[in-house]
Amino acid sequence: MASYFRSRGLPVPRELSRNPLTDWQRWGTLAVTIAVLYVGVKVLDIDVSRANPQYAWGVVRKLLEWDFDIMTPQNEYETFWDTSPGLMLTTILLGVVATALSLLLALPLAFLGARNIMTGHPVTAVIYTFVRILFTIVRSIDVLIVVIVFAIIFGLGSAAGVFGLAFHNIGVLGKLYSEAIEGIDPGPGEAITATGANRVQVIWTAVLPQIFNPFVSFTIYRLDANVRLAPVLGFVGGGGIGQQLFQTIQLFQYQKAGLIIFMIVLVVATMDFASAQVRKKLS
Amino acid sequence: MSAQLRITDLIKVYRGGTRALDGISLEITRGEFVVLIGLSGSGKSTLLRCINRLVEPTSGRVELDDIDVTAAGGGELRRIRRRIGMIFQQFNLVRRSTVFANVLAGRLGYRSVWRTLVFQPTHHDIDLAFENLQRVGILDKAYSRADALSGGQQQRVGIARALMQRPDVMLADEPVASLDPATSHSVMKYLEEINKKDGITVICSLHFLSLARRYGTRVIALKDGRVAFDGLPAEIDEARFKEIYGLDAVEVEIGVAKVRGEA
Repeated sequence: MASYFRSRGLPVPRELSRNPLTDWQRWGTLAVTIAVLYVGVKVLDIDVSRANPQYAWGVVRKLLEWDFDIMTPQNEYETFWDTSPGLMLTTILLGVVATALSLLLALPLAFLGARNIMTGHPVTAVIYTFVRILFTIVRSIDVLIVVIVFAIIFGLGSAAGVFGLAFHNIGVLGKLYSEAIEGIDPGPGEAITATGANRVQVIWTAVLPQIFNPFVSFTIYRLDANVRLAPVLGFVGGGGIGQQLFQTIQLFQYQKAGLIIFMIVLVVATMDFASAQVRKKLS
Repeated sequence: MSAQLRITDLIKVYRGGTRALDGISLEITRGEFVVLIGLSGSGKSTLLRCINRLVEPTSGRVELDDIDVTAAGGGELRRIRRRIGMIFQQFNLVRRSTVFANVLAGRLGYRSVWRTLVFQPTHHDIDLAFENLQRVGILDKAYSRADALSGGQQQRVGIARALMQRPDVMLADEPVASLDPATSHSVMKYLEEINKKDGITVICSLHFLSLARRYGTRVIALKDGRVAFDGLPAEIDEARFKEIYGLDAVEVEIGVAKVRGEA
């Protein structure tokens, strides 16, 4: 095929320049992929010989035989906040507070991390680069690791959960906000600048109306994600219902664990649905 | 009478080495309707943007009523920009905001930051906004979102916004290039009106020579960042046309039909 073009002195179209059957790059990639998978399976030495289906089946049955004791206070020392509904509510609020906290810090930082606002002056360009690198570093540390570290600092409980979640979220929200600012149409800003308005007026009049809806949308998306993450944080010392779930599993109380898992699923599904509805309205 | 706008040896070299303006010198008198023509990339947009310094010229000088625009900084530059209205090919309205808010924004150069931040325009500015909306015939759209309007209506919002500045000069960067022929004439008529009635100097880049002949009192052609022609619209004949647009170019007419209102 390619010879048709070459013999006539024409450039060969990109699609026809390689023959898929004799393309060594393609075969090479395939060979490497297969080799990596082969080595991977060998190294992992996946062992299913100790699986115990009868025991597993018993656990599954217990998970479905819900023990409703955890729904109410069991003795004079327990209050509503020690019951599963109470801990669930605590966990949801943990996600909400963490989101609010990260929002406060991510919002101003996002403007400093937006290319179209910060380039044009060497000093601001340096700040831009610094803020974006900061976002990337903060974001790249997984929430669970952050919470483990914060649990060492603040001790087990809500403080570690809230601050850990908020810390991670500054990186995520900061990046999302910055990109929303970078995605705006520069035209209105140019027009408002031409009227003789100053920088603050331009941002307020031409930039804010364009980013308001994306910001609200991203915030709700992260709120949803945080409330979803919050129960897991209990496993690593972040407090809330996750901690209760962890304890019941450690004590083999699968009847309680099953009910807690069901409650978490219910909350996550509700959040998911509600957040999608709100964001659909905003777009 | 001395020139209102004097441009001396203006050069603009973009990063990457594109020489958009290569030594432009012009004098424009108050009340002229100057039409800029030339191929895409000939420097029309850059020239217009160098006048109000949305684009920073590399060298050369722009003077408005003997005030050096190119030397002005900060507050002085913003005071000069107040006197120069501008409309754009893509209208550049804040699409999510109302028509009213967009028009009001034209007044920002006269207002303090805190008034902007707390959304407290003066009564005078509100009156002025309604007055200008009335003038361009879209008073009934004042409360619509800007992106709900047709292209021609959006450009009229752009004109109303620029009129809020009470400008001495109006720059128009291909104001009708995104519009159909009928709508184009309706927009051009508003520019003609503010030129004739208010005595605002108009500098307008256009793609259609027929529009240039119909509305311009003076035509300046740019080619490769230099002035290739400067004279009366009627002086552009076949030979001149080929000089400006290249030998293969054929003139395309945009009908100067009897157009009333707009589509």
